[in-house]
Amino acid sequence: MDRVVFESVRKVFRHRPALFNWLGRERGGETIALKNASFAAACAQVLVLLGPNGSGKTTALKLISTMLLPDAGSVSVGGFDARRDAGAVRRQVGIAVAAERSFFPRLSARENLEFFAALDEVSRKERAQRIKEVLRDTGLEEQADTLVMKFSSGMYQRLGIARALVKRPGVLLLDEPTRSLDAGTTAHFWTTIRALARQETCVLLATHSFAEAAAVADRLLLLQRGEVLADRALGNGENADALRAFYFRMTGEVDEKIL
Amino acid sequence: MTSTLDKLHAILRRDLLTAVRHRSGFVVTLVGVFTELAAFYFLSRAIGPGFRPGGVEYFPFLMVGTGVYTFFVMSAQAFLSAVQEAQQTGTLEVLMTTSTAPAELVILSSISAFAGNLLNLLVYLFAGVAVFRAAIHANFFSCVAVLIFSLAIALALGIAAATLQVAFQKGSALLWLLGSGLWFLSGTMFPIQSLPRPLELLARAVPLTYAIDGMRSALLEGQSIRAMAPTLAVLAGFSVVLLPLALAALSLSLRRARQDGTLSFY
Repeated sequence: MDRVVFESVRKVFRHRPALFNWLGRERGGETIALKNASFAAACAQVLVLLGPNGSGKTTALKLISTMLLPDAGSVSVGGFDARRDAGAVRRQVGIAVAAERSFFPRLSARENLEFFAALDEVSRKERAQRIKEVLRDTGLEEQADTLVMKFSSGMYQRLGIARALVKRPGVLLLDEPTRSLDAGTTAHFWTTIRALARQETCVLLATHSFAEAAAVADRLLLLQRGEVLADRALGNGENADALRAFYFRMTGEVDEKIL
Repeated sequence: MTSTLDKLHAILRRDLLTAVRHRSGFVVTLVGVFTELAAFYFLSRAIGPGFRPGGVEYFPFLMVGTGVYTFFVMSAQAFLSAVQEAQQTGTLEVLMTTSTAPAELVILSSISAFAGNLLNLLVYLFAGVAVFRAAIHANFFSCVAVLIFSLAIALALGIAAATLQVAFQKGSALLWLLGSGLWFLSGTMFPIQSLPRPLELLARAVPLTYAIDGMRSALLEGQSIRAMAPTLAVLAGFSVVLLPLALAALSLSLRRARQDGTLSFY
């Protein structure tokens, strides 16, 4: 069953020139982030979004989370329209954004998670247990009571993932989740993602890593300049090298590794 | 309701923990309170006992005026700073994706910001009475009534500043207006009757004027709620109009920011 549905979604960012524009070089204009993009993501499935910078991966995730609203077309989650029923959509979605510092620096990791869990309406009875679980799953148990202002990039990233998981979302959105993680934590994280998919979670993960895509994806969505280039299931045994070759063939970019 | 109280508790706890972990913050605030009160005490002594605006001594008159004015400005400033910081760190975007509706989140966050400054106001007034012997004759219920309506108006101002911040990244413009024009027009340091007639009429259109005047009547003259009915009615009117208006404007600016992708612009 499709949990997330994009139908002919268009998203344009308009850049308004500054008031005294003649003083600088900034010009108005627009960036087309998504061009009539249509795709769907199902329950118990990991959909990996691949694509060059500016292809629309993060915009797609932000549209699902209701951080952004579409200019045309529709985005729905669990049958609820992201524009009309944003509240119902937000209750189903957990997002780990690429911005690493999106926490309250003078609170500990546990206190940050308690705060966001309360806003996500996780019941008081379950809160402590869930926080304990996500801290364990992200390898932050030992730093649970450290103020996050003392965290490294990798620890911030783990905490972002923990925050997205604590509400046990039906739809999990991950934007480059392992960018700053070490190899051991990354491998453990991939196992967690696969386990979540087995528990009926619909996972959408944007990445530039072919190894990550090969390790976790059930399906692959390849984007370029806001358009869907390919939307297909991942073949059995399709490894990172095969994905890399597919990516460069489809996007027309030059693979300098081969040259 | 339980969920809303739980969220309010989470927000109050976050703000309290953040405040107490700024170790020097409390000391700086306390030093500021005593320095300001001392300056007004000696100013009123220098002017002499003959100057009794509205029939009350000048020091208590100044204490209430500056206390209520500071409460308004600092509350709006605290809330605006929280919004600006959330924009800079990317927290605002994440907060907007939680299960809590944006309007509910904004109201709860502003209540927390204003609670901290309400505490500062109470410390300010207590220190003025206990240390500098300001003569008061308080009517408790009238004080509470004025405080409730003032809080609603201050909330509206804070939310309006947040609206300007989200929409144009210029929430500080409203604070500038509060810090300059309203200080002059609201009768903080002298009665508005001293102003030229056109400016006095303008001052009567400013909600802060009634909040300060009401608090002086309730705290210094002990006027009953019945006696203060006209002032309370004006404050209630401002609250009823300004608060929903500010919330509607914020809701609109948040929607526009989500449409334009400018939620985290600052």
